[in-house]
Amino acid sequence: MAMVELQKVRRVYRRDTQEITVLDGIDLTVPEGEFVALMGPSGSGKTTLLNLIAGIDRPTSGVVRVAGTDVGQLSESALAQWRSRSIGFIFQFYNLIPVLTAIENVELPLLLTRLSRKERRDRAVTALKVVKLADRASHYPRQLSGGQEQRVAIARAIVADPKVLVADEPTGDLDARSAEEILGLMETLNREFHKTIVMVTHDPRASQRAHTQKHLDKGVLREEA
Amino acid sequence: MKFLPYILKHLRRSWVRTASTVLAMSVCIFLFCTLRTFVEAVTWNLQSAKSSLLVTRHAVSLVFNLPVAYKERIAALPGVRGVAATNWFGGSRRPNDFKDFFPNFAVEVADYLPMHPEYILPEDQKRAFLEDRRGCMIGRKTADRFGWKIGDTFQLESFIPPYRVGKPFEFVVRGIFDTDLARFPGTDTTAMFFQWKYLYEATGQRVGAGTYVIEIANPAQATAIARAVDALFDNSDAQTKTETEAAFRASFASLAGNLALLLNGIALAVMFTILLVTANTMSMAMRERRTEIAVLKTLGFSSARVMGLILAESAFLGALGGTVGIALGVVMIRNLTNVPFLGDAVRGFPNLGLSPMIATLGFSAALLLGILAGFVPALLAYRSRITDMLRQV
Repeated sequence: MAMVELQKVRRVYRRDTQEITVLDGIDLTVPEGEFVALMGPSGSGKTTLLNLIAGIDRPTSGVVRVAGTDVGQLSESALAQWRSRSIGFIFQFYNLIPVLTAIENVELPLLLTRLSRKERRDRAVTALKVVKLADRASHYPRQLSGGQEQRVAIARAIVADPKVLVADEPTGDLDARSAEEILGLMETLNREFHKTIVMVTHDPRASQRAHTQKHLDKGVLREEA
Repeated sequence: MKFLPYILKHLRRSWVRTASTVLAMSVCIFLFCTLRTFVEAVTWNLQSAKSSLLVTRHAVSLVFNLPVAYKERIAALPGVRGVAATNWFGGSRRPNDFKDFFPNFAVEVADYLPMHPEYILPEDQKRAFLEDRRGCMIGRKTADRFGWKIGDTFQLESFIPPYRVGKPFEFVVRGIFDTDLARFPGTDTTAMFFQWKYLYEATGQRVGAGTYVIEIANPAQATAIARAVDALFDNSDAQTKTETEAAFRASFASLAGNLALLLNGIALAVMFTILLVTANTMSMAMRERRTEIAVLKTLGFSSARVMGLILAESAFLGALGGTVGIALGVVMIRNLTNVPFLGDAVRGFPNLGLSPMIATLGFSAALLLGILAGFVPALLAYRSRITDMLRQV
């Protein structure tokens, strides 16, 4: 079953009178449980494609279907609700909320659910255990290393148990050792927790950890390895 | 409620900025509450003015008294039910020391009391008051303030030259009056009344009537009777000016109208400034948190919820500032009478205190200011696109 399915997707940005085609007729299918790496040079449209899959952007034309939902058809509020249930987003720069502790950051997506305070806390602790940071639950982001911050961000991405994880250069801001840890963790999430992962990366070593690599160039998927 | 810790943590993030905004807001609400209280105190007793009463005074100024003989001529006019001479005595317990000041008047008691049913006095006390030349009746607030009981004596000395006779006037408390504020709103129970004849005789029958209070049968004829009274004395040395009690009080406190306008203007200007300051603070805070807003939206927070969080944060700032401001106001107003110079000016106001209505108004204003200040940043956050905000990082 296809977890992510894109059909003839175009994304055009308008800057003043100029139209810039960032994605041009993308067809992509990612089966459930797949770990896909999207590669390509800067400006090739990788992040735009990822944003479309994550439902934080809408295609100019074409169909984006994720976990059976036609994302382009959802209203703004329905899309937000859908994101909270179906998508876990991992940013390059972690984007943790600095005034919240690690566990509060992880708990944040659960504030949108009807879970009790205790249930939210329990789930956040479980997510932190998965990323092996339960002992840093009460630490603030500034008290964590880059690798640890990214692990907290991953815990936040998985805490609501989404079907799809999208990661925008998750190792781009990390040293080699931390990057290795993060990639290992993503492999575990894919292998043991059956998460479908779509990862944008520049790093060939990171892409090697994925099952499939897709290459984007000037808004077009060029080749498949 | 589950978002409250999130809001509080953000307010603590830049505590200096939060504290200074709260302080600015609290000063604004403090000023608003204090000024409103002041205006209310000045205009409070205008409420108790009756349409059936006219007041006649010297046409030139209240400083000049009217001849005693005027009373009979006024009383003879058609439509007039009763006339009572009254003089503002301006007495204090210690000469030129207004710390213990309360309003005190010499009145022709037998004529004056029937015109003023708002002063509720037991019959036996009324009789005792009428029969004693040195007798007086005092309002409950003043009695409680000084712990005076029926039969107690005290002395007052006026600062008005014609009423200074070389020694203080001695009074005996013959009555303590109450009122029913539901029926007679604005009635002052700090006032004290004594026999006009006591003043007249003690001053060697040299003083006249400060004003004449005239009760008329039909309030609809107030203008005509007022004109008739003034016409009586058109060709005399002491011409008169007659007006309704409400107009008299308003003109007597003509300062009050202008003062209210001035003070309300100041309060509005301060509020508008604080609105701009708080709006700027909120805008700065939001600009710094563009990424966070984008992250929240990415996590599934709807635009409306993000907007709600920002408005809640802003309203919380307002509420905090309002609470501190009201607390400051309560303390300030309570101690206003101890402030040098200003204390003397406000001591004479009955009912000076931060009323629940003004406090509620102040708190609502703070809340509204908070919400208004946060509205534009909240709207911008509502409209912002996740991809745009993440791109600008």
